[in-house]
Amino acid sequence: MGTSLMFGPRRVEQTFLQKLRQLNWLFVLVVCAIAGIGFVVLYSAAGGELDPWASTQMIRFAVGLALMLAIALVDLRYWMVAAYPLFALGLLSLLAVEFFGVSGMGGQRWLELGVVRVQPAEFIKLALVLAMARYFHGLNPPDTLKLRSLAVPIILIILPAALVVRQPDLGTTLMLVLAGVGMIYLSGARVWIFGVGALAAIVSVPIAWRFLRDYQQERILIFFNPESDPLGAGYQIMQSKIALGSGGIFGKGFLQGTQSHLNFLPEMKTDFIFTVLAEEFGMIGGLTLLGLYVVILAYGVYVSLTCRSHFGRLLSIGVAGTLFLYVFINIAMVMGLLPVVGVPLPLVSYGGSSMLTMLVGCGLILSVALHRGLSIPRKNAFG
Amino acid sequence: MEQARNRLMVVLFLFIGGFALLGLRTVDLGLIQRVAERERTDWSTAPVLPRRADIVDRNGVVLATNLDTPSLFAVPAEVRDPEQAAARLVSVLPDLSLADVLARLQSRKGFVWIKRQLTPAQVWKVNALGLPGLKFQQEERRIYPHGSLAAHILGFVDVDGNGIAGIEHFFDDRLLDPGRVGKPLRLSLDLRVQHALHDELEKAMVMHRAIGAAGVVLDVNTGEMLAGVSLPDFDPNHAARALPMARFNKLTNGVFELGSTFKIFTIAAGLEFGIVDLEDSYEAIHPIRISRFQIRDDHPKRRVLTVPEIFVYSSNIGAAKLARDIGADRQREFLGSLGLLRPASVELPEVGLPLFPDRWREINTMTIGYGHGIAVTPLQQAVAIAAIINGGVLNPATLILQSDNLQPLGRRVISRTTSDQMRALMRVAVTKGTGSFADVPGYRIGGKTGTAEKSGIGGYRRDKLISSFVGVFPIEAPKYLVFAVLDEPKGTAETHNFAGGGWVVAPAVGRVIARIAPLLGIAPESQSDENRFRRTALLVRRE
Repeated sequence: MGTSLMFGPRRVEQTFLQKLRQLNWLFVLVVCAIAGIGFVVLYSAAGGELDPWASTQMIRFAVGLALMLAIALVDLRYWMVAAYPLFALGLLSLLAVEFFGVSGMGGQRWLELGVVRVQPAEFIKLALVLAMARYFHGLNPPDTLKLRSLAVPIILIILPAALVVRQPDLGTTLMLVLAGVGMIYLSGARVWIFGVGALAAIVSVPIAWRFLRDYQQERILIFFNPESDPLGAGYQIMQSKIALGSGGIFGKGFLQGTQSHLNFLPEMKTDFIFTVLAEEFGMIGGLTLLGLYVVILAYGVYVSLTCRSHFGRLLSIGVAGTLFLYVFINIAMVMGLLPVVGVPLPLVSYGGSSMLTMLVGCGLILSVALHRGLSIPRKNAFG
Repeated sequence: MEQARNRLMVVLFLFIGGFALLGLRTVDLGLIQRVAERERTDWSTAPVLPRRADIVDRNGVVLATNLDTPSLFAVPAEVRDPEQAAARLVSVLPDLSLADVLARLQSRKGFVWIKRQLTPAQVWKVNALGLPGLKFQQEERRIYPHGSLAAHILGFVDVDGNGIAGIEHFFDDRLLDPGRVGKPLRLSLDLRVQHALHDELEKAMVMHRAIGAAGVVLDVNTGEMLAGVSLPDFDPNHAARALPMARFNKLTNGVFELGSTFKIFTIAAGLEFGIVDLEDSYEAIHPIRISRFQIRDDHPKRRVLTVPEIFVYSSNIGAAKLARDIGADRQREFLGSLGLLRPASVELPEVGLPLFPDRWREINTMTIGYGHGIAVTPLQQAVAIAAIINGGVLNPATLILQSDNLQPLGRRVISRTTSDQMRALMRVAVTKGTGSFADVPGYRIGGKTGTAEKSGIGGYRRDKLISSFVGVFPIEAPKYLVFAVLDEPKGTAETHNFAGGGWVVAPAVGRVIARIAPLLGIAPESQSDENRFRRTALLVRRE
């Protein structure tokens, strides 16, 4: 009864059960399938053991799946209301990492919250998409062409990017900037702005180079010529390519990957998990996983195309773009098409943070899908 | 609205393009690049085999192996300023010539060597120059961990790793055979014995200011060389720096008139052909005069000498007379059967040709009877003596470890009886005669001294000697033979200015035997062996 009062009389609200029935369960199934592939590969990477990775990953997925469904059922307008506060929370936690963060693996990225360790850099990706969607939703359509209306989104991008790059986390920075710029483009800014922006980016490359850590510089140099240092920093990518190639069409078989099992491959359970998959299940295994990701993204784009509200449209495509960037950067990286920047493969790589981001993102897409018929006023979500 | 939809489509195409790229790359890696990546895997996991096999001694101690060393080369097209580059290179690698380096850097070739096989310090210095166009190539360098210790046996390789001397040259094909490169070439040398011989010869050479020395330790029953030394020697790791004189292998390539050790063959032939018994005697009162030659004794007794006395007191007169009785033909045949008239058969390229008269006249027969007028290599002398005392079987010298179950293909040259008599004579020569300084308590050594005058302008020179000693142990059943030669030794106060084999070489051989016998598993015997060769010893009268 309360909701009908709050959201006004324009439309009859769906009940909880109706929403559950309308939910795209095929999409949920695909998400489960991707996670399932992750379990199988983690099982294999542990040498045919559930412990220590596959079992932990399963528990995380169960929790994350429940969270995804809960997020899907929450009214889109609540998300609009929550967008800025969530973004602010994300920024604050990034700042907290700066001051109280726990270091690990050469970077200061984790925040200790009681028993849970969270990576605010993951959370901020979705928070940025929410905040950008919120901003452009509230903008007068003619204003989108004005230059000064770009000031806020640029600040929205730069604030988290600046904090993340200091951690240092090149992959996340790249994703934040690309996702943010993509959303500016989608919201209808003039095309020449992007030309100028690209030019500025190119000019700033030599300056940015000086701010990169040694290992980051090294990785980028090695990307252009990995064979130059096959035993040093180029080792990871060489071994990864060898493993990918050695899988052939059908792979060496479950638990049979030599590169991964003989520990030739570093980080095989996290960033390089796609390699383990491709070695053991071959080209077919790799293409299957790619296909499942395509389904998720296609659904995100479809939802965006069919959504009535600008906020939902931007949110759905923004989340889909973020997921695309995850998958693309990770797989291109292990295949030697991009420098090693340390981006996990969402839902498959071992680790809670990226899985949670992916599931929350999927929850947001589902939420948009459930509320795509809803038209939301520009200024105030609840009119 | 329309524009937003269009832009959404652009993003959609980006998604599709990205995934298409990943998909194509997956297919590419899985299908097309598969073979190439496999090969690369093999490259990274295959064991790295050297180009040249190792050489080890009989106990497996490494004598020659390989080390990866960087060599410096230049790509002239990439060198910016050849004059400056050449000057700076020569400043850190001073053994290079400026003109030569400059010519190389200015050549039109795509690749020129600057310097082969640099030390880590040199690599560091060249890198510190930071010159473009200079690069390093890993090459295998032959390393002889024991330096000069067995230099003449092992030989050495050129800068491209091809054997050009010694074992390295003789077994070049075997060492480079890809199928056997993992299996080291096992020599008969025993590094411990080699060290003892090398050490004692070096000391004797220094003590007696000799210009050279040579020595060998033989297993008399197999012909295996346990040690072989020629001094002065060189470090095969830097063979190019060695003087030609030092590179010359006196043991197998140098031919010398070795003198009295040849009496072993004369007496053995006399006994073998039944010309004399041990009880027979020769008059040795006066020197022999034949035309312009005179044969005299170094240790004149001026009396009638029994055959054992001729041997033990090393009488040239007696030996010459016995040789005359043997005759030229039989002597020549006998020495030929001992392998003294052809180059020694051993696995080295450096073997010398013996020198002997074309026309073997009586005078030649007589001088050869005591080891003059014939020049042979110390190695073949040692091999022939081994045949005399081992029971009468000639085993060619070998540097390769003979397996225990394979009996060497020896050739009988004298009867067992003659061999037994010769052993008795050699033991008495040490207990009563000229070889007494070689005696080592507990080890029954048999031996024979040799002192020859070197021939010079206008005849033999009394002040330039080739002094030698052959020692055999244990004499009742000989296992090993040590033969050592000093070239132009000088007497010292301790030797009362004598420089003959008994004075300067016999003690060194005795010390070698004292050092190596325990290593070779021969236990000293506390009991005196005085009675064993009593009959022979009784034929030698002491004054």
